[in-house]
Amino acid sequence: MMKPMIIALAGILLSALNLFAQQDKIDVFPAVPYDRFIVYQNLIIFWIGIIGLIVIIKMKLREIERTQKMGIDKEEKDIPLLD
Amino acid sequence: MNCPRLKSWFSERYDFEEMKSLAKQKLVPIHKYEIWYYTGGIVLFLFIIQFITGMVLSFYYIPYFEQAHKSIIDIVTKLNMGWFFRSLHHWGAQIAIVVLFIHVWSTLLLKAYRKPREFLWFSGFILLGISIFFGLSGYLLLWDERAFAAVRVATGGAGNLPVVGEFIKSFLRGGIDVTGDTLTRFYAFHVSVLPLVTLALIGLHVLLVQYHGMSVPLSVKKEERKEIPFFPNLFYKDLVIWLVVLGIIVSLATFLPPEIGKKADPLAPAPENIKPEWYFLFLFQTLKLFPGEILGLNGETIAILLISAGIFFFFLIPFFDRKSQRGEKSTLFTWIGVIYFLYFVIMTVFGFIS
Repeated sequence: MMKPMIIALAGILLSALNLFAQQDKIDVFPAVPYDRFIVYQNLIIFWIGIIGLIVIIKMKLREIERTQKMGIDKEEKDIPLLD
Repeated sequence: MNCPRLKSWFSERYDFEEMKSLAKQKLVPIHKYEIWYYTGGIVLFLFIIQFITGMVLSFYYIPYFEQAHKSIIDIVTKLNMGWFFRSLHHWGAQIAIVVLFIHVWSTLLLKAYRKPREFLWFSGFILLGISIFFGLSGYLLLWDERAFAAVRVATGGAGNLPVVGEFIKSFLRGGIDVTGDTLTRFYAFHVSVLPLVTLALIGLHVLLVQYHGMSVPLSVKKEERKEIPFFPNLFYKDLVIWLVVLGIIVSLATFLPPEIGKKADPLAPAPENIKPEWYFLFLFQTLKLFPGEILGLNGETIAILLISAGIFFFFLIPFFDRKSQRGEKSTLFTWIGVIYFLYFVIMTVFGFIS
């Protein structure tokens, strides 16, 4: 008689422990390690792309400023057209 | 890619040459404070990001109090890249408000609001207010217990305003308390009313910038500045900065995705140590400074009135600063701007750590 009562009491106490347990957090980021790896890998590729674009834009801007300094960036109005 | 037939099809209908020459004619002054010109462009870029990510999220969000919280969890956990778009929308909003504050304060300290640019200041200031309301309305859409309590506090604070307070509170809440009706109302504000007003105001603001040109600070002498064409010189510099900002937001969205709390329960007590979003912390901290009753009057009402008066003075600064209107240096208003800035920063930090 005692044995089932002790087991039942232990069961109740164990389930009562759940009341103190913190509520599971909602995953706001991929939880699987492989998915995480893909995300971080893509972030690195994204930054390489951004840096590449910045370098291209900077080079283009430098070239524009060079032609502006030389004064050869303006189109001549009476330039003959070649058909 | 060169498409002569397509080009001629368009040029027969629209005068592209005229537009091109107009873009090339637009000149921008270059001087030691030019860095502040880019803040406006960054805000515009961030608004575009917010519009795009917001549209994507609205395909899946359910603006009904019983399903709103679950729909966000589904967006984050079940949709491909859903977590990323939500995180991008969250960080885009945070950074947009930070840059907007910087833009407003740089305008104030450089006296760019002076005659004839008063309407630029007013439209920009209203846009800042709208952006903050965007933040508040978007925060409630999460429908978790923190957002619920924060909106209850914020709308309750507005209710302390004399005469119009009760009307504003019940108008915002759609009833006497924050309920499912408030969620529907805030959703309508967030996705239709505010975007329309924002688009109109951005249009007016950009139009006024084109009309008046960029303001040059009084301390910059004529011989110290030169002018460069907006297109392509400044446009390319803008592009570089936008790319860096995009990289920062994407990185923040990846490394710090915003958490989702427990579903809001209107009958449950507010969670402990509840705090509003960071841009409301200075208000929250100021309200804490005031006692419950001052000379028999409600302390919170007096605090709200004083804060409203302070914000209204800030809004009307172009009219008060007579010296700047005359083209003279006005040290007093520089100090006023610095005091406002320090007050905002100190109170925000205190609110954060307390």
